[in-house]
Amino acid sequence: MYLPEYYEFCCRVKVISGHNALEKIPESLAKMHAARPLIITDKGVSEAGLVDIVLDAIRDEVAVGATADDVPQDSSLKVVNRLADVYRDNDCDSIIAVGGGSVMDTAKGVNIVVSENAHDLMKFSGAGALKRALKPLVVIPTTSGTGSEATLVAVVKDHERHLKMAFVSYFLLPDVAILDSRMTLTLPPFITAATAMDAMAHAVEAYTGLAKNPLSDASALAAISLISSNLMGVMENPSDREGRLALANAATLAGAAFSNSMVGVVHTLGHATGSVCGVPHGMCMAILLPYGLEYNMHKNAHFTEELLVPLAGAEVYAATPKHLRAEQVVAHIRKMNQDLHDATAGRHARFLGEVKDGGGRQVVPREKLEDIAEAALDDGSIFYNPEECDYEDFLMILRTAWEGTPLDRGLIKGV
Amino acid sequence: MNEFREVTPGGKPFKKAYVALMLWFVGRAIQAAAKVDGDVKKEFEKLPEGFTFCLGVMPHGPYMIVGKDRKERVKYMGWRREGRSIDLDMKIKNIEAAILMFTFQEGTAVATARDRMVVDGEVPYACAIVRVLDIGEVYLLPKIIARLAVKRYPVWSFGRKYIGRVRIYFRSIVGY
Repeated sequence: MYLPEYYEFCCRVKVISGHNALEKIPESLAKMHAARPLIITDKGVSEAGLVDIVLDAIRDEVAVGATADDVPQDSSLKVVNRLADVYRDNDCDSIIAVGGGSVMDTAKGVNIVVSENAHDLMKFSGAGALKRALKPLVVIPTTSGTGSEATLVAVVKDHERHLKMAFVSYFLLPDVAILDSRMTLTLPPFITAATAMDAMAHAVEAYTGLAKNPLSDASALAAISLISSNLMGVMENPSDREGRLALANAATLAGAAFSNSMVGVVHTLGHATGSVCGVPHGMCMAILLPYGLEYNMHKNAHFTEELLVPLAGAEVYAATPKHLRAEQVVAHIRKMNQDLHDATAGRHARFLGEVKDGGGRQVVPREKLEDIAEAALDDGSIFYNPEECDYEDFLMILRTAWEGTPLDRGLIKGV
Repeated sequence: MNEFREVTPGGKPFKKAYVALMLWFVGRAIQAAAKVDGDVKKEFEKLPEGFTFCLGVMPHGPYMIVGKDRKERVKYMGWRREGRSIDLDMKIKNIEAAILMFTFQEGTAVATARDRMVVDGEVPYACAIVRVLDIGEVYLLPKIIARLAVKRYPVWSFGRKYIGRVRIYFRSIVGY
């Protein structure tokens, strides 16, 4: 067990998990002296009937102030400021976010504006701008991936300035996270796969990164074990309630882990690939995770090899010679990607060159890799990566991840 | 009645003086490196006009301010932050953490991972300045120490490493 000389860990989110967890919302709001929430969600979630399930669960005891279902795919500064007005106009006293990462980040942004009695979120960007607790915030994730329900960050896009602004504060940790299997039962297999691998990447990078600590390690190991044991079962049987709840818990655990231990090169390149080519975040994570592990292996194989237990089980770990365990972890994750590729009839891409849009067009042209490597230089997650990464390193990883061939570790500088 | 002696916090003047000296020298070295080293020059060229950053220790300093002047030259701007518009504020949380960093017992990356710093400003600026600081450390420190400060000690040509080092030391000392 690795114990750093110094670390900080904070995850003061009350997690309520179960097949009927939504019914605990009224009691949770009452304990926070809140009675009139603003529900923030998006059209997809609303049309899938998930907001109705939430309303049915709380209707008798909670007077909902308003429901705003127009959060765009990327959280937006304009929408945050407008929803803050909706909150005020309807005399709301709390927020319930029902959705994925974008909805939860939007809700966090709205909470900053209404709690600080301000009109523009931008005044509070960066770290340390918030000095006091915000209004009660209950989050109900409808995907099992982002882990935003357990993180202290909100990322909101300023579309006018083409910037993604990060807001970081312990006050952004939601008060309550509700993990209810009903919220993810209808998630399509293709998205289930990508979001689960997103959570997997959070947990693996948290466990193998520079800021790892015993508390985040415990969360990360539990998350990896839950994903490994349940993902393929859910892919085969999407209405598996136990499996769905397990994946939801895994995402929250992984969120708690990476919120405190941060992430590394997989996310650095994933963010850049997403912003340059529009590849969904979870798909980037699934594709890049084995490459990130290979790139860092000469620095952290002793941590990576430990992941073989939650990934493949104690017997496989014991049967694998020590010097091969880290490589076995990479092979296992590649096999997961292959299995997910097969289970989704090819929609879950295994390498960047394979990512296609709805019309079957290639999303990441090879000539865009230089732009992605350039964009990666501006991403702060690289601070926490064990190995240094410059433009040439990024490009080397991207080229192999585009082709789908394993990384030639002999080419890594300093190895 | 109980009588309690008032305990005033120690000033740790020697540690502060050491960190102040290091910050002063690093600040001047960055000014010099921006003239001598192509990579440092490029990093500053990408930063906006008038860009200023501060590296210092919470709560009351010492600080180091470096920025681009009206003619877009990179300048060490002293240690007083009052009245300056700071685009990127990098503060080490306390003097003990600063000592760990400036005595190279803890590398920049590990210090960041251990939450030793608070960074306020745009992330791309922070990424650029960390790269500049890393290059500066390689110039200023012997390999055996610089290896502790950076994640990967770079492979540079003889000219870049040794002639560059002499030029940067010379310029830092004379302030040119």
